Amino acid sequence: MMPKILVTADPLDPPALVAALTGTDPDDGAVASFVGQVRAEPGLQTLELEHYPGVTETALAELRELAMSRWSLSQAIIHHRVGRMAVGETIVVVAASAPHRRAALEAVGFLIDRLKTEAPFWKRVHTAGGSHWVTARDSDAAASQYWRDQIAQEDA
Amino acid sequence: MHVHIRYMAALRDRLGEGETTLDLPPDVSDSETLIAHLTASDAAAAALAAPEIRLIRNDRIVTRPSALEDGDRLAFCPPFTGG
Repeated sequence: MMPKILVTADPLDPPALVAALTGTDPDDGAVASFVGQVRAEPGLQTLELEHYPGVTETALAELRELAMSRWSLSQAIIHHRVGRMAVGETIVVVAASAPHRRAALEAVGFLIDRLKTEAPFWKRVHTAGGSHWVTARDSDAAASQYWRDQIAQEDA
Repeated sequence: MHVHIRYMAALRDRLGEGETTLDLPPDVSDSETLIAHLTASDAAAAALAAPEIRLIRNDRIVTRPSALEDGDRLAFCPPFTGG
């Protein structure tokens, strides 16, 4: 049984996650997914993800529950890697299944945009000369706020 | 009142210590008066007052200002950068 929420130092397997949601429910017409991976940057040797154990899993579970009810999903899975990763390795996989594509696509967008700003993860870039923490991007904050506004509007 | 404080990620590097337990004077009652108290002994702690700094209190992400109680486990967090 694939865990719905997983934070792990072990490598992730994106095709296995998508497969776990595919062809399992005759009411599903759509499976959508997002895979985030380490991008090459000048000097980057490894990317390290630190988190706050316990709080992270709770934050991801709360986002998942919100998505499940809001978009009437059949299933939703969030797996996030922590520790050190090389270029090309998978950082995060988000996948959702639903009767229709719009729900699955929107839910995946919501989950990845919100988890970037609402779950306690921090990225650190290791180079030959040392390391530095990645600073939060305004564009990520804006994407997260977009969903917050959407939900506030629809709940109003 | 005693509280246990952790500094996460970039804040840990900036404030020079990962965690500490403090005995607080009576005028420290919430997260913001705590930050002022910390800043009095280390000017670098003024960075904690920035609105984007998040607070985890007893394993829950809380909004600031947050009231404090004896025995609280606090973690000051720079903006999250997962995903």
